[in-house]
Amino acid sequence: MERDNYLLITTHNNTGILQRITGLFSRRFYNILSTVAAQDVDSEFSHLIIVVRGDENVVRQVEKQVSKLHDVLEVEVLDPEHIVLREHLMLKLARTEETDAEMVAIANLFRANILNVGQDTMILELSGSPKTLNSLINLCKPFGILQLLRTGAMAMSV
Amino acid sequence: MNLTGAEIIMECLLEQQVDTVFGYPGGAVLNIYDALYRYSDRINHILTAHEQGAAHAADGYARASGKTGVCIATSGPGATNLVTGLATAYMDSVPLVAITGNVNRNLLGLDSFQEVDITGITMPITKHNYIVKDVAELADVIREAFQIAGEGRKGPVLIDIPKDVTAARCSYAPSQPLPYHRDELPPDFWLDKAAEMVAKAERPMIYAGGGVLSSEAAGVLKELAERVDAPVSCSLMCQGGYDQADARYVGLLGMHGTKTASETIKNCDLMIAVGTRFSDRVTCNTSLFAQRFPVIQIDIDAAEFNKNVNVQVRLKGDAAEMIGELLKRVPQQHHADWMAEVAGWQRQYPLIQHTNNPSGITPQEVLETLAELTSCEAVLTTEVGQHQMWAAQFYTFRHPRQLLTSGGLGTMGYGLGAALGAQVALPDKRVVNIAGDGSFHMNANELSTAARYNIPIVELVFNNEVLGMVRQWQKLFYDNRFSQTTLDKKTNYELLAEAYGVRAMTISSREEIRPVLEAALALKGPVLINCHIDRDQNVLPMVPAGASVEEPILEMR
Repeated sequence: MERDNYLLITTHNNTGILQRITGLFSRRFYNILSTVAAQDVDSEFSHLIIVVRGDENVVRQVEKQVSKLHDVLEVEVLDPEHIVLREHLMLKLARTEETDAEMVAIANLFRANILNVGQDTMILELSGSPKTLNSLINLCKPFGILQLLRTGAMAMSV
Repeated sequence: MNLTGAEIIMECLLEQQVDTVFGYPGGAVLNIYDALYRYSDRINHILTAHEQGAAHAADGYARASGKTGVCIATSGPGATNLVTGLATAYMDSVPLVAITGNVNRNLLGLDSFQEVDITGITMPITKHNYIVKDVAELADVIREAFQIAGEGRKGPVLIDIPKDVTAARCSYAPSQPLPYHRDELPPDFWLDKAAEMVAKAERPMIYAGGGVLSSEAAGVLKELAERVDAPVSCSLMCQGGYDQADARYVGLLGMHGTKTASETIKNCDLMIAVGTRFSDRVTCNTSLFAQRFPVIQIDIDAAEFNKNVNVQVRLKGDAAEMIGELLKRVPQQHHADWMAEVAGWQRQYPLIQHTNNPSGITPQEVLETLAELTSCEAVLTTEVGQHQMWAAQFYTFRHPRQLLTSGGLGTMGYGLGAALGAQVALPDKRVVNIAGDGSFHMNANELSTAARYNIPIVELVFNNEVLGMVRQWQKLFYDNRFSQTTLDKKTNYELLAEAYGVRAMTISSREEIRPVLEAALALKGPVLINCHIDRDQNVLPMVPAGASVEEPILEMR
C-alpha cells in the first residue's frame, strides 16, 4: 500500500552529500515528497528527514540503497505511529479592512502568528502537522494567497 | 617525509601494491606525470590512445587479476572520457580507482580552461568519489578510495585532485592497507532454513553470477554443486565460475541462454542463486520469473534482495563464506533422476549454429577451434553484440576470470582496452579480444597501444559488415527494416591494423580457420584477424522481449 514514509538519515557533513542523496533518489525514480536537512550539534554530522511516497517494497529499497552511500552513517525508517510530525508554513495573504477581523479570527483559531501586517498584505506563520497546515491554507484561499512557503515535514520518534 | 601531493599519490599507490597504471597526460596532471617519471622503476604506466581505453584497460586489468585497477586522466575532456569506462565498471562491480586532475583551487567553479565538475558527473556511476582540496587529506583519501573500491560489492571510485594540490607539500607517513571489513553471518535461523530447503528439494538448481568471481568462490561452488547434486547455470558475468566442461553445467541462463538452462529452470523446485542481481537480461519477463519454486539468494549487497525478483531466503554476505556455511549444514544429496533428466535435455538440445551456406564460416567453428588451440586456457575479452554472445556460448571457460565482458552496461568498445589490461596483468596468458566489426570501429585506436608496447593480444573481428545484434531485432520485430545497421564500411582492416603497427591476417573460408588461428597464436606480438562471416547469422536461442525465460525461440528464418 502506498503511503508517506519518513526516513531519518544521518550523514557525515561532507560536501555534496545532499546531491548524492537526491541524485540517488532521482536516478532510481523514488518519489521524494520533501526533504529537510540540517547540521547536527556536532558539525561533523548532518541529519535529513526525507519523505518518500511508496509501498513497503519501495521504502525497503530506498533504505538499503541510501545506506550504501559512503557518507551515510545511518538510515532509520520512522514508525509513523510513534513520531511527532511538524511542518512550518508562511503565508502571505491579501488583506482589506473588511477581511481583517475574519483573518485574525482564523489565525487565532490555529494559533498562527501574525508576523507582519502591511497596507494590503498579512503574513501568517504556523508550525503544525501537515494536515493542520492544509486546513489553514484552505481556509485562507478565499482571501487570496499571494505567496506560500512551506518546509518539508520534520519527524522525530517519541 | 615531506612530499608533494604528486609524490604522495605515488607512495600511496605503492602502499596498495599498485605496479601498473593506465592513463593519458595533460595540463592538470603534469605534476602527477612528473612524479610518474621519477617512479617509473616501480610504477609502470601504459599510455593509451584515448582515456576511455585507459579506463577499460584498468577494468580489464582488475577483472583479469582480481586486483584494483588504476587509471589517470587530466581535467575536463580527459576526465569525461573516463565516464563510459567508469559506468562499465560500476555496472559490473569492478574495483577501480580513477585519478583525475583538475584546475587550480582558485580557478574551480569559474568555467576555467579544461574544468569540469567530474565528481558531479560521476556521482551516479561510482561507489564514491572525492575532490581533494587539502594536500593533508590526500593520502588518507587515496587509502580510503582503495578500501571502498575493493570492499563488499566492489566498484569504481574517482579521486579528483586540483593541480596545485599535487604541487603542495605535506608530511607523509607510510601506512599499510587495512583488511576489508567482513559482514556478520546471517542468523542461524536463516542458514538452517536454507539448508532445510536444500535438503527437501528434489530438483534443485544452482544459478551463479559475478559475485562468485568477486569472492573467489568457484572452488566452494563446485563443492556445493556436488553436495547438492544439482545442475549449474552461470550468468554472463560468471562464465568460468563453474567449469563448463563439467557435465553439471547447463549453460548460460537468460535472453540467449541454452534450451537446457531454460528447461532446467522450468522444471526445478528450488533455485540457489549465488552472487547475482537477477538482471533483466537473465529474468527476461521478470513477472514470470521464479514463480513456481522458492529461491535462496546469496548476495553481499542487501539492496539486491527483492529488487528485481522476490526471494524466500536472503543470505547477505560474501559468496564463498555463505556457501561454506551451507556446506556445513547440508548433507550429501542424491538426485540421480533429476540429473538424468537434465542430461537428456543436454543431448536433446545441443548448441549448434547453422548456416545457410554449408561451406560458410560459423562463429561456433571459429570459437571451438580457438578453444581447442588454446586448450581452453585463453582469456577472452569481448565487445558487445552478437560476437559477445557467441563467445559466451562456444568457448569453453574452465576457470574464473577467463571471460571479461561488459555485461551490465553493454559497452561497445570495451573489449580492446580490456584485452590490453588483461594481457598486462597476465603476461603468460593468451588474451583474445572477440570483436564485431561495429564495435571494432568504436575504439580501434587502441591497436596503436598494443603495437607500441608489443602487447601480444589477438584481435579477432567477426566481420559481417552489419550491426548484427540490432539487425537481428530488426528482423524479428521491425519487419526487416534495417535502419542504419548495414555498415558496409570501406575499411581495409588488414591495412588499418598494419598502419597501427599490428600484424594482420584474414579468414575468409572454413579451411583457413585453423591455420590462421594457429599462426596468430604463434606470434609474439599483437595481431588482428579479420574473419568474414555471414550477415544473417543469428544469436540463438533467444527469448523475445516480454516472454518468459522458460520459452526461448530456437530458430529464426
